[in-house]
Amino acid sequence: MALLKISEPGGKPAAPAHRLAVGIDLGTTNSLVAARCGRGVEILPDSAGKHLLPSVVQYFKGKPPLVGAEAKLASLGNPANTIVSVKRLLGKSAAEIRASDRFGKYQLDASRDENAPAILTVAGTKDPVEVSADILRVLVKRAEECMRGELEGAVITVPAYFNDAQRQQTRDAARLAGLNVLRLLNEPTAAAVAYGLESKDQGNVIVFDLGGGTFDVSLLSLQKGVFEVLATGGDTSLGGDDFDYLLADWIASQAMPEKTLDARSHGELLHYANEVIHRLSEGEAVTLDSGNWTVSLDTPQFAELAKDLIARTINICRRVLRDAALPVAAIDNIILVGGATRMPVIRDAVADFFGKPPLTDIDPDRVVAIGAGIQADVLIGNKSADNFLLLDVNPLSLGIETMGELVEKIIPRNTTIPVSRAQEFTTFKDGQSAMILHVVQGERELVSDCRSLARFELRGIPPMVAGAAKIRVTFQVDADGLLSVNAEELSTGKSSEIQVKPSFGLDAGSIEQMLKASHEHAHNDMELRALKEAQLEATQLIDAIEAAKQVDSDLLDAADSARIATAMDELKLAMEKSGSNRIHELVEKLNRVSSDFAARRMDLRIGEALRGVSIDNVRHAGEATEQSTE
Amino acid sequence: MQQITKNFFRLFAITESFEVDLELLAEKYRELQVETHPDRFAAGSEQEKLHAVQLSSYLNEAYDTLRLPLKRAAYLLSLHDLDVKQVNQGELGMDLLMEQMQLREALEELPEDESALTELASLKWDVQEKLERRQQNFASYLDNGEFVAAKKLFHEMQFLNKLLKEIESGEEQRLGY
Repeated sequence: MALLKISEPGGKPAAPAHRLAVGIDLGTTNSLVAARCGRGVEILPDSAGKHLLPSVVQYFKGKPPLVGAEAKLASLGNPANTIVSVKRLLGKSAAEIRASDRFGKYQLDASRDENAPAILTVAGTKDPVEVSADILRVLVKRAEECMRGELEGAVITVPAYFNDAQRQQTRDAARLAGLNVLRLLNEPTAAAVAYGLESKDQGNVIVFDLGGGTFDVSLLSLQKGVFEVLATGGDTSLGGDDFDYLLADWIASQAMPEKTLDARSHGELLHYANEVIHRLSEGEAVTLDSGNWTVSLDTPQFAELAKDLIARTINICRRVLRDAALPVAAIDNIILVGGATRMPVIRDAVADFFGKPPLTDIDPDRVVAIGAGIQADVLIGNKSADNFLLLDVNPLSLGIETMGELVEKIIPRNTTIPVSRAQEFTTFKDGQSAMILHVVQGERELVSDCRSLARFELRGIPPMVAGAAKIRVTFQVDADGLLSVNAEELSTGKSSEIQVKPSFGLDAGSIEQMLKASHEHAHNDMELRALKEAQLEATQLIDAIEAAKQVDSDLLDAADSARIATAMDELKLAMEKSGSNRIHELVEKLNRVSSDFAARRMDLRIGEALRGVSIDNVRHAGEATEQSTE
Repeated sequence: MQQITKNFFRLFAITESFEVDLELLAEKYRELQVETHPDRFAAGSEQEKLHAVQLSSYLNEAYDTLRLPLKRAAYLLSLHDLDVKQVNQGELGMDLLMEQMQLREALEELPEDESALTELASLKWDVQEKLERRQQNFASYLDNGEFVAAKKLFHEMQFLNKLLKEIESGEEQRLGY
């Protein structure tokens, strides 16, 4: 399947089977799935015709969880077993969850690590990753029923301001739900795609995305099909929910100052506050009435009440403009995303600040999923990409802890990804064989003010006198915004072994276990599915190589050709007779023996300019520049 | 072993000089990125994905180096075998150090609240102007092959740039970003 992606100038257009790929907006309040149906990308409905799936999961003893509207209805009556806004729990510590869970709605599993919290329910301990996976499963099922086929890949959106742990956990949730993640796509970027592809606009666009629980602002420059994010900013704990909380608190303090609310009546009050905000958005003044207390609320009064929250959003816009070094006047369009941007108080504030009315043609609840659906269609290879490309940035600076608990920045915020930067370290003791790198994310100078990402332990440094070892550590952020680290001792060329201990959430081992457990749970189903997937993968790879051989047979010498033919025969045999594991092994093998061929083909297509830049040089490029910046 | 990295200017097919047409550079960058970005290989094999991530990172690094004046200056010096990490005593003149100290003191004496913003803006303007003047001189030294003089100027630019960053972060603190 690999080689298929390379376009063949003048070659016969492959007769591609339409491959099923979806875009998923895994939202705090609602989740959606979108895919190409016929000509356009649409939101896929459930069997009752509903598009929005409330991101609420209710757990039961001995039966599968309920996800969506029904679970939402149950959230008042059975709060402890009904998990709402799980997105807010991703990448958080137990203390942070407790702090945001004012009424102790959730009981956390005390046996779990402080930084990998999970909630106790009647169905057992539920990690936020598992809860997210339960939501994703419902969307996958919906898509497969709608499109009558198996999904081959998905683009999942995340807030642009999500940190590494939150991204990693989103990815893990998708894996747990059995999804092949084509890309994690930043929500504002997805929204820009939904708008931009239609209009072929050039210019600078601000995406103002106020979701249920997160706030993002991105500034993009659109040029000939390339969407380049210039700067992004946000707050992962600011959202439409906060306006509900604010109003609920205000009502409580005005109407029943002497009463202490319990979780249930607070839940009801929140619900009420949310309704009031909805009605305000429709332009009515609302009369609040609770027996002996009556007051009329209109939009200007609500704006006054919410002025601090609104100011926070505008302040972030200001900072994004500053980061991109652009004046307000340079902004051509403003796109509003997220249900909370329906509030007139937000629309007015945005229009005021940017001096022009924002675009609202596409439903702000759906625009992210639609953009993700478009991107999924492109990435899976259905739609010719032409010059269409998204260039995104890392939202937060990445750094490492140095002496005195200070942070040394390695990759500053708003650096275009993928990016790779290298840094050299040395030992400070004779014979030192190990070293710990503490990687943090954030803008502040002190380690304690930044978000801890992970500790990387390098082992196997060859014994030398202090200061003699030169260890080059390369930090790589991929196109999903995920960090990986590798290290090499320069004088011996030995790569050091790295053990990663993520600061939040589960380590890779626990995730594997979770995956295994979920597979065993539905063992037969899974094996059948795995077999079908493996067979599909094998077919695609074989087809791709055969097509590639027809076009570029001159790039293949006799020895390579023979090796590929053998591996291919083995694989064909296994596809008929063997299980999924064996097929996977042989797919790997075929990939391996054809990798030189693939690289040569890629080099050929990749254009004159880059030809001959070997991977080795690529790996060292970061260092070359690193030296020159100090 | 010496690593040979492809000349960034040749990579983007632009003239090797401190004066860079940023729009042209951006256009060339986008053209290359369209071909190499990992999104082009999202459904590809692991090897292809890895290759694409590395090539695309390399392009980003090259673009950043040529786009940002200070990085570009350091890179140009490195092409003439001058390592900006090696600083000789004589390269940092007394007058520069004095000027630095004065500017830094002015920065430190400012009040901690928003009332300092006007003063910060004027300080920033001042430093930017000094920086621009040196950048112009840097370009002509380089064109005339006076690399040692250019390197001395680079270190001055480096100082001013650092100061500029400090002023900006001072602004950001006071603006509550």
